[in-house]
Amino acid sequence: MLTQAILAELRTAVGDRGLIQEPNQLQTYECDGLTNFRALPGAVVLPRTTAEVQKVVRVCAKHKIAFVARGAGTGLSGGALPQEGCVVISLARMNRILAVDVDNARITVEPGVTNSQVTERVKAAGFFYAPDPSSQSVCTIGGNLAENAGGAHCLKYGFTVTHVLGCEVVLPSGEVTWFGSEHGVVDSPGYDLAGVFIGSEGTLGIATRAVLRIVRRPESVQTLLAAFNETSAAAQSVSDIIAAGMLPSAMEMMDRISISACEASVHAGYPDCEALLLVELDGPTAEVSAQMVQVRAICERNGAWEQRLAQTEKERALVWKGRKAAFAAMGRVSPNYIVQDGVIPRTKLPQILAQMKTRSDETGLRVANVFHAGDGNLHPMVLYNGAIEGEEARALEFSYEILRMCVDAGGSITGEHGVGREKQCEMSYMYAEPDLATMLRVRQAFDPHNVANPEKLFPTPRLCGERRHGAYKPHPLEVSGIAEIF
Amino acid sequence: MQEFIDILGEDVNRISVAGALLSLTPHTTEEVSAILKVCTKHRIPVLPSGGSTKSSWGARTLTREQLHRPQLDGSTVILQLGKLEGVTEHSWQDLTATVRAGTRWAEMQKVLANHGQRVAVDPIQPERAHVGGILATNDTGTLRMRYGSLRDLIIGITVVLADGTIARSGGKVVKNVAGYDLPKLFTGSFGTLGIITEATFRLHPLPQQTATFTVRSAEVAPLADLMTTILKSSLSLEQMQLRNEPLGYALDLQFASLPDVLADVEIRLRTLAGAHSIASADDDVFRARERLFTTNSFYTTVLKITALPNKLAALVAGIAHLNSLPNQTAFCVADPVGIVTVALDITDPDVNPNVRVVFPADTAPAGNPAKLAEIVDDLRSRLVASGGSVTVLRAGHLPHTVDPWGVPPAAIEVMRAIKNEFDPQHILNAGKFVGGI
Repeated sequence: MLTQAILAELRTAVGDRGLIQEPNQLQTYECDGLTNFRALPGAVVLPRTTAEVQKVVRVCAKHKIAFVARGAGTGLSGGALPQEGCVVISLARMNRILAVDVDNARITVEPGVTNSQVTERVKAAGFFYAPDPSSQSVCTIGGNLAENAGGAHCLKYGFTVTHVLGCEVVLPSGEVTWFGSEHGVVDSPGYDLAGVFIGSEGTLGIATRAVLRIVRRPESVQTLLAAFNETSAAAQSVSDIIAAGMLPSAMEMMDRISISACEASVHAGYPDCEALLLVELDGPTAEVSAQMVQVRAICERNGAWEQRLAQTEKERALVWKGRKAAFAAMGRVSPNYIVQDGVIPRTKLPQILAQMKTRSDETGLRVANVFHAGDGNLHPMVLYNGAIEGEEARALEFSYEILRMCVDAGGSITGEHGVGREKQCEMSYMYAEPDLATMLRVRQAFDPHNVANPEKLFPTPRLCGERRHGAYKPHPLEVSGIAEIF
Repeated sequence: MQEFIDILGEDVNRISVAGALLSLTPHTTEEVSAILKVCTKHRIPVLPSGGSTKSSWGARTLTREQLHRPQLDGSTVILQLGKLEGVTEHSWQDLTATVRAGTRWAEMQKVLANHGQRVAVDPIQPERAHVGGILATNDTGTLRMRYGSLRDLIIGITVVLADGTIARSGGKVVKNVAGYDLPKLFTGSFGTLGIITEATFRLHPLPQQTATFTVRSAEVAPLADLMTTILKSSLSLEQMQLRNEPLGYALDLQFASLPDVLADVEIRLRTLAGAHSIASADDDVFRARERLFTTNSFYTTVLKITALPNKLAALVAGIAHLNSLPNQTAFCVADPVGIVTVALDITDPDVNPNVRVVFPADTAPAGNPAKLAEIVDDLRSRLVASGGSVTVLRAGHLPHTVDPWGVPPAAIEVMRAIKNEFDPQHILNAGKFVGGI
């Protein structure tokens, strides 16, 4: 593992204050937002510059030591989970906004800048940064790139990858290069390496700088909250809105359990109902107003018994606050829960909800649902009590079963949280061997020695061999006592 | 040869020989796979071909020697992909569609229009060009500003690698981050990594109604200002382009919205345009980029310039200046996202015949290769500091010493590594891409 000599090299790279090796301090880095997987890194480095990142990666490359890049650690799939004894490279100190180019609607940032800070910085000029994961006030741009973060508004505005025009990357070899354009010019000649790198979950290198596209704030934003007695009626409204040729900036759905959890937690003032639909339209005022009339008529036709239009910025903020707090709020209604991230073709929503209900009744495990309904991205939360022997294993298996239902319906195992450690074994349910082998060729081209965030994303025989669609088995690290799962 | 017959049968419509070129027409992804396995085994070079509308893109002019010698030694396979056709699935309620790569773009759009939808991309020559070729060359038009580029709209892909591996990546849902995004890697890869046989797209509804206008001015600056103003305004802009004309400049604007809203848009636009001439225009005006290819001859040089949006007006003015010089014509269309397509002709009967680019036909007009090379070099050197690039889409009289791709990008070594993983023997479209990939 990390010998004293290697630690000394790392210290040379980042200085005394940039190296953490005290076990109690290392514990901060033992997991990300997916807290039931934990492993202690051998060291954490906190570089301040690209050159320091490069030095650290060179040390790792030379000694073939695994490294895991980390932003704010809010990821929900274990992407920033350390490999036991590895080097964690925290980009938290690289948090400067380097340049704002309003003329061209570009901003250049370091990876440790938070998502919200980008919007904050360009707000006065009339712009915003479109990707808005629920953790946006803390999650970092570096992590957003690694996971190709989405959010509620990607239905209209697209994901992180749509908004990154270029990024500086330290490759697993320690070379520094640019993918896309340093200046933010579109269509740089060559392969779309930024397109492959973004969403590669730290397995192809570390972004140390990014040129982002910023978007002009729309003239008008209107948010409608509609209450339904049936989830299927809310789902039908979503389909009808799309069929009418409208493209709302967001369409979100919450079920009864989620609504009550959010109410208990942030008092958003949601109506008491089976399903809540949130539709946000933005654009030119005349267009938004005309479309909102149509949306309201559609909801009405599908039996919405209450419709509230958030008129002021404050009302809108409150509506969204409830939605964005949904995951954290689950603590109010259940001691433990597992968040999943399946995607289905929008039209399969009623079918999948029925399947989930059946399995929920059979297993006795409750499922709360929050969806990005517009793009078919589900966030089912399987609720359980960790204190009950065996319940967590059953909950985990149920959550994987939901993902497989999504794949069977023609969807995906992850819409925005990433595969990470959590879903790597499900990758072989979604993709055939040649598909995965082809992706591995990309990995081989970038990282032939497999040092960048190894043992993530792809199914490995060691981790998945015995657990292929079977019952949950403890992680080997857990068995060996190195990591704990709870 | 026998091995190919074993795959495709003895059918002259599917196997034909012309000189050193062996033309093969597979009907399925599996046949493409079987053909590539044979090609890999015997190291036979493969040139994928669709509607042949962009075969000159990224290719150099032939040298005099190449013209007089058989161009390719031994056999080269031309993979004709036009029989891999048809929209295989249109899930209109989910706004997605899966289409085979040999489908002509306009054919696909016709099927999707049955449900009032489309892939919101406007490539050149959609009646001839195939989905696969458009993806491979990343050909997009001015709808891009509003709807994004092909990479933003492709959500799944089926490809056949050089060794015959059939791989699928992405899927049929708009939101999906499972694994590496190979649809993006293959978009714009010029057939050098594998053969695209099927693609799934995210769709958009066709606009309810559009209104198109052209604003003209003798100077470029007022139109550049108007572009900025319109981007800042909240008009429902669908697409926009700036171009030079024989006399002056034109800014074409298309708005798409509900009929009531459009009436208001026109009033606001006329206010913004002030004293400038503004006229209603045909939607067809947005085929101006296509016309740079189709109305000019095979000998016209066509370039794709990329630059920051705030450099566009100066570039268009520069092209207009070239057009004002004797014996030269230069026309361009600028897409506000930062792409300028330029068609350039320099006729010069007095140029020393020894430095002329040679064409097979004797009727070729005399060009001025040295001057063209000078223009390309000049553009490249001006753009390098701000990250712009010049790619040669059609060489015309441009001498073969000019690299169609310019200086290789910073990450060329990563690109080479990917090429080596996907096509280790370099049988697919060898030498057609950046840095000689």
